[in-house]
Amino acid sequence: MGNGLAGTTLRINLKTSVVRRLPTDEALFRRWHGGRGITAKLIYDEVPREADPLGPENIFIMNAGVMSGAFIPAGSKVSFGSVSPLTNGHGDSNMGGHLGPALKFAGYDLVVFENIAPRPVYLVIDDERVELRDASKFWGMKSLECEKALKDELGEDFEVATIGPAGENGVLFSCITHDFGRQAGRTGQGAVMGSKRLKAICVRGSKSLRVHDLPELRKQVTEIMLRTRKHPNMEPWQKYGTAFFIRWSNDNAVLPTYNFQTTHYEDTDKIDGDQLVTKLLVTHKACFGCWMNCGKYTKAVVPGKPAVYLEGPEYETGALCGANLGMKDIHHVAYINWLLDNLGMDSMSGGGVVAFGMECYERGLITEADLEGHALRWGEVDDVEHFLDMIAHRRGIGDWFAGGTKRAAQKIGKGSEKFAMQVKGQEMSGYDGRWAPGMLLSYMTADIGAHHNRSWTITVDMAEGRERIAGRAKIVIYLQHIRPLFDTWCICRLFWGELDITPEEIVESLNHITGWGVGVDECLRTSEMIWNLNRCHYLERNRANGRTFDYPPARSWEDKIPSGPGKGKGLTREQIEEMLDDYYDERGWDRRGNPTRALLEDLGLGDAADNLEKIGLLGEPLPGGIPKVRGEKYKPKAF
Amino acid sequence: MRIKVDRTKCTGCRLCLQICAIENYGEINPKKAALRIEAKFPEPGQYRPFVCTQCGKCAEVCPENAITRNDVGAYIVDKSLCTNCGACVTVCPVGVVFQHPEINHVIICNFCMKCTELCSTGAIVKWDKAPASKGGTAAAEEV
Amino acid sequence: MVIYLKAGSELRLKLNPDVDFYTRRVETEEGKTLREILKDIRLAPAFVAFAYSEGRIFSLDRAPRDGQSITLQPPVSGG
Repeated sequence: MGNGLAGTTLRINLKTSVVRRLPTDEALFRRWHGGRGITAKLIYDEVPREADPLGPENIFIMNAGVMSGAFIPAGSKVSFGSVSPLTNGHGDSNMGGHLGPALKFAGYDLVVFENIAPRPVYLVIDDERVELRDASKFWGMKSLECEKALKDELGEDFEVATIGPAGENGVLFSCITHDFGRQAGRTGQGAVMGSKRLKAICVRGSKSLRVHDLPELRKQVTEIMLRTRKHPNMEPWQKYGTAFFIRWSNDNAVLPTYNFQTTHYEDTDKIDGDQLVTKLLVTHKACFGCWMNCGKYTKAVVPGKPAVYLEGPEYETGALCGANLGMKDIHHVAYINWLLDNLGMDSMSGGGVVAFGMECYERGLITEADLEGHALRWGEVDDVEHFLDMIAHRRGIGDWFAGGTKRAAQKIGKGSEKFAMQVKGQEMSGYDGRWAPGMLLSYMTADIGAHHNRSWTITVDMAEGRERIAGRAKIVIYLQHIRPLFDTWCICRLFWGELDITPEEIVESLNHITGWGVGVDECLRTSEMIWNLNRCHYLERNRANGRTFDYPPARSWEDKIPSGPGKGKGLTREQIEEMLDDYYDERGWDRRGNPTRALLEDLGLGDAADNLEKIGLLGEPLPGGIPKVRGEKYKPKAF
Repeated sequence: MRIKVDRTKCTGCRLCLQICAIENYGEINPKKAALRIEAKFPEPGQYRPFVCTQCGKCAEVCPENAITRNDVGAYIVDKSLCTNCGACVTVCPVGVVFQHPEINHVIICNFCMKCTELCSTGAIVKWDKAPASKGGTAAAEEV
Repeated sequence: MVIYLKAGSELRLKLNPDVDFYTRRVETEEGKTLREILKDIRLAPAFVAFAYSEGRIFSLDRAPRDGQSITLQPPVSGG
């Protein structure tokens, strides 16, 4: 009888090439569940607070949690984590595909990379065989080309993750690429991998994954898969994936357009999901064990350029590299998606950074002289291609933008911080929050910066009133606990929301796999513990009251939406302050945004409270004590 | 009874491989499955499932006569006779006879059809009224 | 005439299905667009990302025919 764990943990010192095999600490997984929870705990304990995220003291973590690889809907994820060079706080990012399951089938739950390799290496795991190999012939290669070269060398059945030139060169929003189109994009994990001179990770496994109760798991999961095949969302979902929601975002005034200047894009029809499916689609593509196949593998043809194959653009890339850059042709959006994938940059931050550059160019803050004689105009794919090459290789002002919008704005100055659309250094996802206050609060307070995956509230904002501030905090907190749980378990989140599979059902599967016998509430509490540890870690590294870091750029309150169905809508600075006050109260933090001892001890994080106290950043005790329940389960209201 | 393949519908999810090993070995291990999926990426971007076509070449070459055909047309390995020599592996025209380090006999599809039950796109489907195989390759079985 | 609307996840709760778990039978008049029909049953079209029928997108501005079955797809909660 098993527990969903493969049994072995690897500690790899890249400087000395020493590989240590340790039995996996089951108690660590039991308490932190895996995925981002393991990252949160290990980086908090092991990485000195003053350590440079791109230096030898940062650790780089890969793990596949307890559910990835098991017979479970979309149990496909692998999680990467380290102190983020982009946010200077907890960083984790995950991707689907087949790497996570392969790691488990090879016998490993967790791989921790320490230090920096003296010369470029790549890791090969083939069951018991674990080798660091010389990567000099792969160094400099683009992500997708490197994946192909490694598969040609090792065999098609190896699962390969690579970084591109951006990761090698320390572009802070670099991603890790796998399966010719799956990316762990956010928080700059590719840059950390590059800083360690680790070009690729290649895994093949042939072992069985042992779970607590396979007959029950099989029965339950088979029932879910057969039942949901009749779900009304299934067929449209399989056909269109996520890209179709660009039109909806536009119709409902949340689509970021021209660097979040407006939320209405006049050429939405040219970049929408039906364009993708009718003009680009090569094949539907699924991650391991997923019957929903949202992946759309495509071919884009831009005249004068080679035809390119890629996966996507999915919603986020379609929004941020489409409307946000003023692109007017789905082929152009896909081509930019491919450029970013192949250079090894997050296509969300990448879209945000290019859009920021375009607005700077439009305002004359950067000129052709800064851009090696090139322009940077809305909708011009050649301009984007050149600019991205400058960033990936950090040439000229490309070096400024390689740090993301926040750092670029600090270099450019002249008020550009106002429209550097980021929080904590991480670029916003593909939704404008000015007329969706809960969404803006989600960005402001997310542990990894402005990312939608921690909390997404737009339909809630719509159902409860889009100008409503009251009550946003409780919903955001609930979502910030439940959504990241999927990232601890290393499974995909999409089937939960889309196919009416309940959290209770998923936790039942978790118990069939692990034998833990936990309930949903306990899992939510674990998630809250992870959230608060990350907050403490952020404060300890950045040495100021938490509130300091929780503001969006000033465009979020100074500019009203200028056009489209959201015309005239927007938030005031006072409303933003009100949401933050409310959020801190509901979390059991003080109004400076610092966690209180009562809360941290309630979550079993007394040590973190001591650490905050030492640097004067422990929250003041709350007069009425901490709320008993943090976050309120969202129940949709009739309307 | 056979399995019909429509490779244009395969999304590479490998649920078929998972359920195959669960059904036949009681284990989560796609490497113990009796079918395979070839992925051709980045170009042309194609998945292609390969399943047993019941051509019988494995049985023909087996030096121990360990492989015989059952009444649904599947070639069944007699585990007590199989020496895991691998002759059938080499001769299989579609590459769907497998060996695994933890199993002391070859793995050949027994047409339990569990894979077809879980395939959500119709890439592999149960083919009740299939004509008897005359030793074709997988390509000949594709829709 | 009668059409059948289907929805899952949160949108299902807003549709109030009566035929089966996902499906609601709606009596309406010929020539009315889907958008108008949704308004008649007090389901804000804003909550529908797109409608889907017989293997393709069905525009909210088209009029369904008698007996047609249409799936209402909710917006995805983040891509």
